[in-house]
Amino acid sequence: MSRKQCIAMLLAGGQGSRLGALTAKIAKPAVSFGGKYRIIDFTLSNCANSGIDTVGVLTQYRPYQLHEYVGSGRGWDLNEIGAGVSILPPYATQEGGAWYAGTADAVTQNLDYIKSHHPEYVLILSGDALYRMDYREMLATHITNNADLTIAVMPVPWEDASRFGILTTNEDHQVTKFTEKPEQPDSNLASMGIYVFSYDFLVNALEEDAINQRSSHDFGNDIIPKALADGKRLFVHEYNGFWKDVGTIASYHETSMDLLGENPEFDLFDTKHPIMSNDSTRPPHYIGPDGRVDDSLVANGCKIMGTVRHSIISTDCVVGDRAIVEDSVLLPGAVVKNGAHVSRAILGENAVVEEGVKLGSVDTTKDTAVVGNDVVIGKGE
Amino acid sequence: MINSKAIGYITANYAGTEASKLIENRPVASLPFMGRYRLIDFPLSNMTNAGIRTVGLVMPGNWRSISDHVGHGKDWMLDRKSGGLFCMPGNPYGTTKRGMRFLLRDIISNRELFERATTPYVVMMGANIIFNMDLDEIIDAHERSGVGVTMVYVKAERHHDDASRLIIGDAGRVQSIEAGCEYGDNKFIDCFVINRELLLDIINNYANADYLDFFEAIAGDFARIDVCSYEYKGLAIGIFGERSYYQRSMELLTPDVFDQLFQKDRPIRTKAHDAAPAKYYAGSNAQNSFISAGCKIYGTVRNSILSRGVIVESGANVSNSIIMFSCVIKRGARVENAILDKNNVIPENTEYRGTPDAILVMGKGARH
Repeated sequence: MSRKQCIAMLLAGGQGSRLGALTAKIAKPAVSFGGKYRIIDFTLSNCANSGIDTVGVLTQYRPYQLHEYVGSGRGWDLNEIGAGVSILPPYATQEGGAWYAGTADAVTQNLDYIKSHHPEYVLILSGDALYRMDYREMLATHITNNADLTIAVMPVPWEDASRFGILTTNEDHQVTKFTEKPEQPDSNLASMGIYVFSYDFLVNALEEDAINQRSSHDFGNDIIPKALADGKRLFVHEYNGFWKDVGTIASYHETSMDLLGENPEFDLFDTKHPIMSNDSTRPPHYIGPDGRVDDSLVANGCKIMGTVRHSIISTDCVVGDRAIVEDSVLLPGAVVKNGAHVSRAILGENAVVEEGVKLGSVDTTKDTAVVGNDVVIGKGE
Repeated sequence: MINSKAIGYITANYAGTEASKLIENRPVASLPFMGRYRLIDFPLSNMTNAGIRTVGLVMPGNWRSISDHVGHGKDWMLDRKSGGLFCMPGNPYGTTKRGMRFLLRDIISNRELFERATTPYVVMMGANIIFNMDLDEIIDAHERSGVGVTMVYVKAERHHDDASRLIIGDAGRVQSIEAGCEYGDNKFIDCFVINRELLLDIINNYANADYLDFFEAIAGDFARIDVCSYEYKGLAIGIFGERSYYQRSMELLTPDVFDQLFQKDRPIRTKAHDAAPAKYYAGSNAQNSFISAGCKIYGTVRNSILSRGVIVESGANVSNSIIMFSCVIKRGARVENAILDKNNVIPENTEYRGTPDAILVMGKGARH
């Protein structure tokens, strides 16, 4: 058998604390998005659509629903024999055990997994953004440059550059400098947190990093600066498509709303590069005799008796008679009862807004209202 | 829990008794239903929801669409090491004779399924009367009563040519089965439980009558075999032809009726697809309709059922219709009282209208 060319390691253990109530009980990659998807779907679909058949999913924070959702990887055609999805939570050994201390440490603790596949290249991904990328193109860049490490970057507006990890390159796209959130950026190429490592380099870098007491065991903080200092061949792969982080309430809401409209930049209906999911087989949604839906996405299993405007209604939601939902995102199973009025809000899974209750405001200067999973909002709350 | 009392046997080779464009290229069992389902999903889901994990599926002659849909049964948790889904040969011409769903020859030729099983009972079902039933309850009732066969019936709510009625005597014993059904009759819903050993005996003893329906063959022996009945009080929907297909579908456009068929604790499972949620654009107007994932609605939809991937362009108007997978209703077109089979494109500013008494049916369109 020929040596496996590339496997992916998907970092899915983060808490996603900036999503507040939405990640109180569930890991960020498992948070519902876009009506029927979960955030990890976009990265797993990218893997499947890029022909990658081996994906290690590293989990840690509240992993149960994430594990159940990813399952055997079947939803993304990643249930390959001798490959496919492997869920990799922290584990114990004869020497003890430890939580994943940083992004690099999480991969270090799973070096045995990587070694067992012995690929030529390892793709490191995180499961918290909305984008479509063919990782094969990035891999080709890596191979052409004979690189040790290739970092996916995207040009950001100069005024925003100081919010990102910025890579400075020479005319050959080789990295000369990496600065985390520079005050005076000399480049506008932001790291997307997507890396291709050559196998030998990755193994050596991680093994060295693991015994470095001063390291925080993070790819951005430790591995990349050390590689540059050691004169390794680091290159960038420039990506110019749609990429949005959904890591904060504001960006989650904004990115959700971006899915609506006539020609969204990120089109869920694009069948050339389909977004796959672990679909639950729920019936088509029903829109009632007085229902009214305008400029919205509505998933299966919903019952829409009232009015929905410019919103995303996920699987199995109910919008009652005379209820109004606008500029909002309802996560799976959320219920807006008769006569309630929900504006610019995110309702968590199975959240309930009781009859006649008014929640949120169309005033865009105010924060988006967020209701956690399973929370019931009654009158006076 | 995995059901250790019963295995399942489903006949998918009912061919209908009237010609229709809808079943020119597919068996009745794979008729699309309520947007994303096919009729075969219902017997499969009823069985798997009761924990049955060994199911024999008798295939029709034109089995392509069934095989495409059902595959190895993974969507019903039937892709298993032990047990699972067994697609089995059946009479290729189907069971077109009125009232016939369980051809004895098909049962005999697939006897291995019953010989290999270790469960005491077999649940048998057709695929054109659909319901969402707690089969465990019926298996338990059968076990408690100690009879040989338990036939499940409903009180008929209308006339049916192609259903059978049970004549029931004392203690629920079935005396005979007659063709045809009127309001109030005991309509057999093509679902019964039988002792497996008894079934094997019948297979051995009635082989020379194998051209008959199972119940025709044993008609003279009901008392000896001890054929009993069980009244099902829930919703059972019979699909016998275009007219009943259209009317029964339209009746489901009421959440209370719909909810009887689609219950969260006993989900009807079907082949999963990766369609995005349905998308409504500014100015769209849909009411009293079921709309599947992957649809794009710019225009007007009333009292209709739309399958996956249907596009209703702006200014188009769909009412009282069933629109199947991937149809496009172009700008300004009008579709009323119609059934459009999959892949049809209704050109701009054209009309395709039937009447409530004469539904227009358009066969499959060309893939586009």
